[in-house]
Amino acid sequence: MMTDALRARCLTRRGLTISALGLLGLAAVYLLALRYTPVERFQGLPQKIFYVHVPAAWSALLAFSLVGIASILYLWLRDPRLDRFAESSAAVGLVFSLVMLTTGPLWGKPVWGTWWTWDARLTFTLILFFLFLGYRALRGALQDPGERARFSAVVGILGLVLVPFVHLTVYLFRTLHPQPIVLKPSAPSLPEEMLRTLLLSLGVFTVLLVGFVTTRYGLATQASLQGGEDAG
Amino acid sequence: MPADPNANAGYMIAAYVVTAVILVGYAVMLWRKRRSQESGIRGQGSGV
Repeated sequence: MMTDALRARCLTRRGLTISALGLLGLAAVYLLALRYTPVERFQGLPQKIFYVHVPAAWSALLAFSLVGIASILYLWLRDPRLDRFAESSAAVGLVFSLVMLTTGPLWGKPVWGTWWTWDARLTFTLILFFLFLGYRALRGALQDPGERARFSAVVGILGLVLVPFVHLTVYLFRTLHPQPIVLKPSAPSLPEEMLRTLLLSLGVFTVLLVGFVTTRYGLATQASLQGGEDAG
Repeated sequence: MPADPNANAGYMIAAYVVTAVILVGYAVMLWRKRRSQESGIRGQGSGV
């Protein structure tokens, strides 16, 4: 019978394999975006930032949603695996948020003429990022595992409440940020080649999310079996 | 279409480089963490 330690090691290895496949996929997205998709008429080349910015936002919001769902389940079932999963998703969500928050201003400067504006979508995204930085800080500050899992679960659920709000800010407020072009009630409004590249990139970023969370969860499980704490 | 289609290409290149650095960097960090954890297990197993 497979021991818990061996299972955690297999999970980590599987996560790293999925992550490597995701990184190969990212190379394919770059090739496709640079060689195959046309240059947008008004924005020029900076429009191609969209093929990494939108999928990074998707993965970040998905990861933060997973934190919230795992947190709700943890408070209900008190299973430490759910707490480890929430912690892993939060760490990975912050990585994708970092991609989103750096590529956004790199698009904003040539298109809006400014790196940053306190627009509703940008502001609430930044609040969500800081909320999960706080989540990580809280986990680092609390020594008792039960207390740490309980308190951080509450913060994780607050994050989950914020996720749909971030998505809806472009409808609820007057904002500079472009409206959704794929996740919207009507059909996606993009030329075929652009849509194909975007969908591939969304798939690749989702694979990377799965790979990173699986690896991070495997490492956290191994660390807890060894009596350690942080998996990075 | 902008006068020069390659205008502002630097922003796009910077975004692609930053994305690759963050994602590859995180994958490498996880891989190194796994190596250090596994060498710890081997150390424990050999009584080191």
